[in-house]
Amino acid sequence: MTKLVSLTIDGKQVTVPEGTLFVDAAKRVGIDIPVFCYHPKMEPVGMCRMCLVDVGRPMIDRATGQPVMDENGAPKIQFGAKLDTACTTPVSEGMVVIGASDKVKAARKDIVEFILTSHPLDCPVCDKGGECPLQNLTMAYGPGETRFLYDDKLHLAKQVPLGELIYLDRERCIQCGRCVRFQDEIVDDPVIGFFNRGRSLEIVTHSDPGFDSVFSGNTTDICPVGALTTADFRFGARPWELKSTSSICSQCPVGCNITFNVRREAASGGKTVIKRVMPRQNETVNEIWICDKGRFGYHYTESDDRLTTPLIRKNGELTPASWDEALGLVASRFSAAGEGLLTLGSGRLSNEDLFNLRQLTEGVKGKAALYTHMAGGDLTAQVGVAPGTDFGEMGKGTAILVAASDLYEEAPIWFLRIKQAAERGATLIVANARPTKLEAYASHVIRYRYGAEAETIAAMTVDRGPTTVAGHPSSVADASKAFAEAENAVILFGSDGLGLEGSQALSAACANLLVATRHVGRANNGLVGVWSRANDQGAWDMGLRPLTVDRRPELQSAKAIYVVAADPFGDDPGLLATFNLQPATFLVVQDLFLTETARRADVVLPAQAFTEREGAYTSGERRVQRFYPAAPARPDTWPDFAITAQIAQKMGSILEGRVPAAVFTQIAATVAAYAGLSYRKLAETNDQWPSVGSGVRRKGLYFSGTAYENKQGVGIHLPLSPTPLPPVNMQSFHLQGEGLLAVPVTCLYDRGQTVYPSALLHQRIGEVWVALHPADAERLGVVANSRVSLTLGGAEFDATARLDESVPQGVALIPRSMGIPINGPEAVEIRAGERVVL
Amino acid sequence: MLAEKYPLETQNILAKYPPDQKRSAVMPLLYLAQRESGYVTKAAMQDIAALCEMSVTEVASIVGFYSLYYDKPAGKYRVQVCTDLPCALRGADEFLSKLCENLGIKVGETTPDGLVTVEAVMCLAGCDKAPMFQTQSSEGITYHENQTIESALEVIDAWRQQEKQA
Ligand code: SF4
Ligand code: SF4
Ligand code: FES
Ligand code: FES
Repeated sequence: MTKLVSLTIDGKQVTVPEGTLFVDAAKRVGIDIPVFCYHPKMEPVGMCRMCLVDVGRPMIDRATGQPVMDENGAPKIQFGAKLDTACTTPVSEGMVVIGASDKVKAARKDIVEFILTSHPLDCPVCDKGGECPLQNLTMAYGPGETRFLYDDKLHLAKQVPLGELIYLDRERCIQCGRCVRFQDEIVDDPVIGFFNRGRSLEIVTHSDPGFDSVFSGNTTDICPVGALTTADFRFGARPWELKSTSSICSQCPVGCNITFNVRREAASGGKTVIKRVMPRQNETVNEIWICDKGRFGYHYTESDDRLTTPLIRKNGELTPASWDEALGLVASRFSAAGEGLLTLGSGRLSNEDLFNLRQLTEGVKGKAALYTHMAGGDLTAQVGVAPGTDFGEMGKGTAILVAASDLYEEAPIWFLRIKQAAERGATLIVANARPTKLEAYASHVIRYRYGAEAETIAAMTVDRGPTTVAGHPSSVADASKAFAEAENAVILFGSDGLGLEGSQALSAACANLLVATRHVGRANNGLVGVWSRANDQGAWDMGLRPLTVDRRPELQSAKAIYVVAADPFGDDPGLLATFNLQPATFLVVQDLFLTETARRADVVLPAQAFTEREGAYTSGERRVQRFYPAAPARPDTWPDFAITAQIAQKMGSILEGRVPAAVFTQIAATVAAYAGLSYRKLAETNDQWPSVGSGVRRKGLYFSGTAYENKQGVGIHLPLSPTPLPPVNMQSFHLQGEGLLAVPVTCLYDRGQTVYPSALLHQRIGEVWVALHPADAERLGVVANSRVSLTLGGAEFDATARLDESVPQGVALIPRSMGIPINGPEAVEIRAGERVVL
Repeated sequence: MLAEKYPLETQNILAKYPPDQKRSAVMPLLYLAQRESGYVTKAAMQDIAALCEMSVTEVASIVGFYSLYYDKPAGKYRVQVCTDLPCALRGADEFLSKLCENLGIKVGETTPDGLVTVEAVMCLAGCDKAPMFQTQSSEGITYHENQTIESALEVIDAWRQQEKQA
């Protein structure tokens, strides 16, 4: 136990753990000590001097070592000659801290005056105006006028792009270093830095592309002035015009809590539109951070290409139709198909949508399937991480195994949280066929060849395996020993290089390892899937299962196919053959866009985006979290669960389709793990530290930035299924083939439908590429960054060749959702130069 | 590439530091690079970043922090006049402006012959012998203390002569 000490701050008694800084101790009892450079998530640096306080310590009699008492018997307090910085001074017993005296106020006034000597105070045109710590503290402490010469004010560049996402206004920067420290200390992407000193100091970037970090947007939240702004929001709106709605990021399984800021504006023709995405605090999920994909990727929801009306194929053409006609047609064909109905839904849907999909399908004895390339969601429901799990708590004594996942690209905030756990002393084991960024923090690195994922993890179960990686003295045996002996252990498995079969084997091997080492059924122990979509876990929980090879016959015999929030033919044109789409097969697509699959459909139904409706997602950690309607829905669209319910109604069965809360009640009543949950429970919050800006005045702004307080629910972690599974059978999985092997990898920014409509990200997404080892490239006569053509699965594609020493020889990495369909490892042929079309 | 051009120097520098603390080598490597072209080129920063396993931005920050490193080309000799408080009290500002006047340039500029660049810098720890300046060139760093405008111009003249003879 850490020792507690008691002190007095501005007359209030506080008891806090030894080592706490004044500034934090004061915040705990609601006293705001103004800061600029201090941030509760970072080490103090004491650079700005704004947090000055008067500190008194009990006088100690040197002879006796006892405190000196005054005439009333209270300890005599001696104040220092100078003021101290509250952000660097730790508390000690009996201290008396004064922050509200005239002396302190005068000092703070001087500091503000000093900072303002070079600050433009252009609040009326500054994006931060209205939620700006400097503005607020100038109002609170600043002098009415300055004694410095106005002509000596520095005039500096006001539009410096630090890359295309973040802009710097040099004049406004007060040199607090929060941004540089965040990039360095917190995320370890030191791609922005100070250049020069004193008044000439400026923030620079030398990375290519500029400010090359997927966490860059967070610096605009913690910058205490308007020096850093996002290209998305700058000059977009004044903060006080914005309404906030709580939501959940829909881009990856982390489930970051976010806030949508919306405004009704003339610029958008009087419509209410989303102006920006901000992090919403949830210390057990994303703290006060989000990644740039979450911040900038939402634009797909407002794309002009969205479907706005049902379409029915008439004389070979998709023609607009009324809902009534479309739903009537769908219902009659689904009823006719009966058990020949195959429903394909994806983890882009909410739990309510997926639940209704399954109800409708099973109502006619059809088959509901999950559209995914990853397996194991049944295992995570049994040996997943138990309630109470918090990456933020993990440190010494915990082993974290990350298998076949490039977390920086697949789930950035988990990358961050696991990196920090490793820095706190957790044993990080990274197993992958190629090096990933996370390895820098690993105590054990296991390198296998693509295809040997499951085998390698299985080897850890029996504590053997000599594989070592150059530069890393550890072997599989060392890693398994560390894993087995750890008090707590977590495995995150992803799909780097894996297709569905490989993923199935890997997830089973991981589950086995956890069971064998007794790392199940407890908080901070268990299995986490690094899924490709936000609600894949929820889809598994709602009973949807992927179309594994053994389910192929279901596909072929389908009489009607209901594809919801998925684009199988767009992702893989080759699938058309598998589906055996005959003219007689009735294809219904329910989506936001006219996808490749929708183009081939008989009926297309326009759904609502998650920003326009309510629902609940289940994150990879199995935390159920609610999102709320932020923007008005497109006219004549419906949420997915409601469309499904209406089809069901026309088929003569009753499904809940009015409000998602009612669907959720049914989920709670039928899905064991969700028992007892309700929308109201999901909306419950708890105390969070550090406290963030909140309320109209957002008082905590200068303490920790502009992240939003969590007022609408931190979500609920699902219990594990009551029957822990017996060791799983692991089918072994081996790759065949010689020559070059193509394997799919995930990159954060891709050409997927929920990313690409954000034009802002196009530069980061870039051209479709394939990565090769330089030796292979040489053999093939391929030069770096040249165009190559490749034959994959019988089809031809063009791509730009990236040469990368970290790619294993004999392997070509192909990014998912970038234009080359790839479902799993398969043979590829690569040729240099342009493809000649004959 | 720095390492290819000066393999021995680079190796010697790197060898002085433990392999897991390569970033410690950044300062001497920057000197090496600066000796080459009078300033640290972008390419050199990239080389050094790779050698020291740092980001280019971090290397650039170090160049920016220390007044002894440059990221832009300038005259062959850099005359760095201290204008910090103690020196200012002994007439550094006047010294600097006179010097510039005589050379026909402003602070920060380079003489047309490309020989001399004049800069104002912070304390050089020669406060008791102000006015003072240091010169920086491929020959290294030299202090010139207790200066008058005449003595300073003499120094510069000597460089000019040297230049002519060469
Ligand atoms: S840009 Fe903002 S966060 Fe960065 S140093 Fe300047 S004021 Fe601080
Ligand atoms: S880490 Fe994932 S959930 Fe969080 S903001 Fe990024 S994409 Fe969204
Ligand atoms: S010095 Fe304490 S907040 Fe900056
Ligand atoms: S002030 Fe000029 S050398 Fe110190």
